[in-house]
Amino acid sequence: MALLTATFYYMAAASVASALLAVMAKNPVHSMLWVLALFLHVAGIFLLLGAEFLAAVQVIVYAGAILIFYLFILMLLDLPDVEAQPRFGRHWPLAAGAGLLFAGFAWLARAGTGLAPAGRRVATDGAPQSSLETIGIALFGPFALPFETASLLLLAAIIGAVVLARRRAA
Amino acid sequence: MIVPAEVILGLSAILFGIGLFGFLARRNIILMLVSVEVMLNAVNLSLAGFGRHLEDLRGQVLALFVIVVAAAEVAVGLGLLIALSRNKPGATVADLTKLKW
Repeated sequence: MALLTATFYYMAAASVASALLAVMAKNPVHSMLWVLALFLHVAGIFLLLGAEFLAAVQVIVYAGAILIFYLFILMLLDLPDVEAQPRFGRHWPLAAGAGLLFAGFAWLARAGTGLAPAGRRVATDGAPQSSLETIGIALFGPFALPFETASLLLLAAIIGAVVLARRRAA
Repeated sequence: MIVPAEVILGLSAILFGIGLFGFLARRNIILMLVSVEVMLNAVNLSLAGFGRHLEDLRGQVLALFVIVVAAAEVAVGLGLLIALSRNKPGATVADLTKLKW
């Protein structure tokens, strides 16, 4: 158990560090690679939390699809002088203050959530099921309507992206 | 439970703060969208942590829907960026001042 706890704290520290580096990196491609490190570490935390399916989706969709899409666009737009320009706007201290303020408020609010101590709850499901099986049953049972709405949303996004990025015939 | 839920919520708060800073401070639109992804990941983390703590599957299901919405947002956002850069090269917010009065 101590090893798992140490692994969690490594994942947490590495994800915070890679998020900071992703936000601060001068070269956008380096930024993308740090975000990739962040996504993989968050997937590791999902694994430690017992959310195996979520970890797999995180790696496949975030690291596999979304990040590659970002890299494609970055290469497609070909911004040669992006490293010469300033990374941050002049208002960056305000932005840092907003980020710190939000993180501080969330940090303080987390103490007041009144969470019951873990382990006191008793699982009422009876026989333990695999996470994937229960998620599949939940997605096609009580969450069937949101699931179908999500597919509709993805269809709308596909059509919207094609329409937006299409070259207009002059 | 490996760590208490408060630790996960704290980690999520820190990641969200970093993403918020990146969104507000960066000038490149692509990196602003990447900062949004960092924020969404922080929220997913807290959802998974709550789901684990309450032994409720709905946290994970909600996180899956957040990932779906993130994918849709990326597709539309980067499509907009391509359409913008076709009209006017450059990908910083300072390039988009046409509506400024």
